[in-house]
Parts: sequence; structure tokens; C-alpha cells
Amino acid sequence: MNQLISGIPVTYILGLAGILFSIGVLGVLIRRNIVIIFMSVELILNSVNLVFVTFSKALSHISGETIVFFVMAIAAAEAAVGLALVIAIFRHKKSTNVDELQSMRW
Amino acid sequence: MDEIIYMNLENSPSLLLFVFFATVTVITALSVIFQKNPVVSAVSLVFTFFSLAGIYGIMGALFIATMQVLVYAGAIMVLVVFVLMLLSQRAETLSRYRKHPIRLVLLSVFVIGFFFLLYSALTTGVPHSEQMGKGYENAEYIFPIQGTSTVNAKGNVATVGASTYLDYLLPFEMISILLLVAVLGAVILAKKKLTEVDQTKDTVL
Repeated sequence: MNQLISGIPVTYILGLAGILFSIGVLGVLIRRNIVIIFMSVELILNSVNLVFVTFSKALSHISGETIVFFVMAIAAAEAAVGLALVIAIFRHKKSTNVDELQSMRW
Repeated sequence: MDEIIYMNLENSPSLLLFVFFATVTVITALSVIFQKNPVVSAVSLVFTFFSLAGIYGIMGALFIATMQVLVYAGAIMVLVVFVLMLLSQRAETLSRYRKHPIRLVLLSVFVIGFFFLLYSALTTGVPHSEQMGKGYENAEYIFPIQGTSTVNAKGNVATVGASTYLDYLLPFEMISILLLVAVLGAVILAKKKLTEVDQTKDTVL
């Protein structure tokens, strides 16, 4: 396993990915706007992509980059379905605040 | 390992570029979740995606960097901004940058410098093909084609393509079916009911 990827230590990149993941989780937890929660999920997916590319380069194996391509396709599908859901919920509730979505609470 | 880092800090700009892009990534990601206005959050998210593309370029994953710009900073952000405008969120606070010319000039200088550094990050990935992890050197794939001798795929994009179509062909086809189903589901979810269309037409006419 290479300790350096084109002059950058692997631990730095993994640390950046961890920070990005934490910011995404924090955004999901503290924000109530449903579109911002959606963007935080995109941040989480991006940090995972960064870890995949880092280990693909450090271990000199190409499968990580291929899987990043698949993750991007899944993220695109999730964006299409999620934003259509946002539109449908907004048409029903006239709001993007997740605290007002209480119809499944019991 | 520490002496390796100091040695590389002196003679390679890659680590400095990485530090710059990492800083921009963290600051804009924090801006995504702490801004009041969702449109400003979306613009910050575009910068996060671009700086991550710069990091991929420095690491030599040129195909992933290209896909990051095309898919994330292009397609997904278009969807997000389009939905934000459909939801009629407040966009008028963006005009406060027009009232402060100094802030506008600083923002323009930052954007121009950012894209210049992004360009240099993406081009440093290509020409030094002898260095480790620069896109070409590690990227080699031996085609296991039956009946012929093995053929080597050189270059990052060729290697990722070969790995996609030879090792991961079944997941690739499943992804295509998933995308088709997702697009159909999005159309069905976002479509109005026919009765609602009739009612609105009555009120308009």
C-alpha cells in the first residue's frame, strides 16, 4: 500500500473524507428544510466516493474507481426520485419543513 | 513518514493544491448546512463538487474528476436548483451582493482564481505519466479476452472502461435498469392527477 498518492499522504485524504462525512451527518441532523437534508446526503455520498478513489490509488487496483462510477449513477437515480418526492410532498403540504410531515406518526 | 511529507512539500505543488482544495471543500460544505437561504446552499454545494473534482484530478483519477463535474456539478445541481425555484424559496437575498461592489469583486476574484487552480490541478494529473499515481502509471488493465493474447489498456479512462465492461458488466446493466425505473418513478410521482388538471383548467378558463 502506497503511503503517498502523488505527494499527498493517504491519511490526509481520509481525514478530509471523515470531516466531509461528519458535516453531512450534521446537516441531516440539524436542518429541517428537506432540500438541505437532500444536499447533506449528497455530501455523505461524495465523502464515500473520496474514500473509494483513495484506496483505489493506494492499493493500485482499479475496482474502486469503477464502483465510484456506480455510486454516481445511484446518486443520480436518488436525486431524480427524491426531488420528485419533494415536489409531491410540497404540493400536498405546501411546506418543505420535515417537522410538518406528521401523517405517519402514531 | 514525516520526512517524506516534508520532502514532498518542498518540490511538489500537489500537496499545496490539495491543501487549498481541502480547505475550500470544508468551508463550502459548512456553508451548505449553515446558510439560511437554500439557494446559497446550492451554490456552495457546486463549489464543494468542483473542489472535490480538483482533488480527484490531483490524485490522477481523471475519469472520476470528469464524471464529478458532469454528473454532480452539472446534472444533480440542475435538478436541485430547478426544484428550489419550483418551491419558490426566497432568492431575493442573493441581490445583496449587487449592493456591495467590494463583496462582488472579492467573490469574482475568488471564482476566477479557483477555476485557474482547478485547471492546473487537472492538468498536473496528465503530463507526468512517469510519476506514481498520476493517472497513467498505475492505470493498466490486462484484457482477459479468450482465444487471443492479452492486450494492455493504458490510461485511466481506458482502464476504468475495461474494468466496467469486463469485471462489472452485470452491475452495469442493473444500474441501467435502475435508472430507467427511477426516471419512470420520478415522472409518476411529480405528475399531477388528471382530475386536478381538469379543475385548474376550469378555474383558468
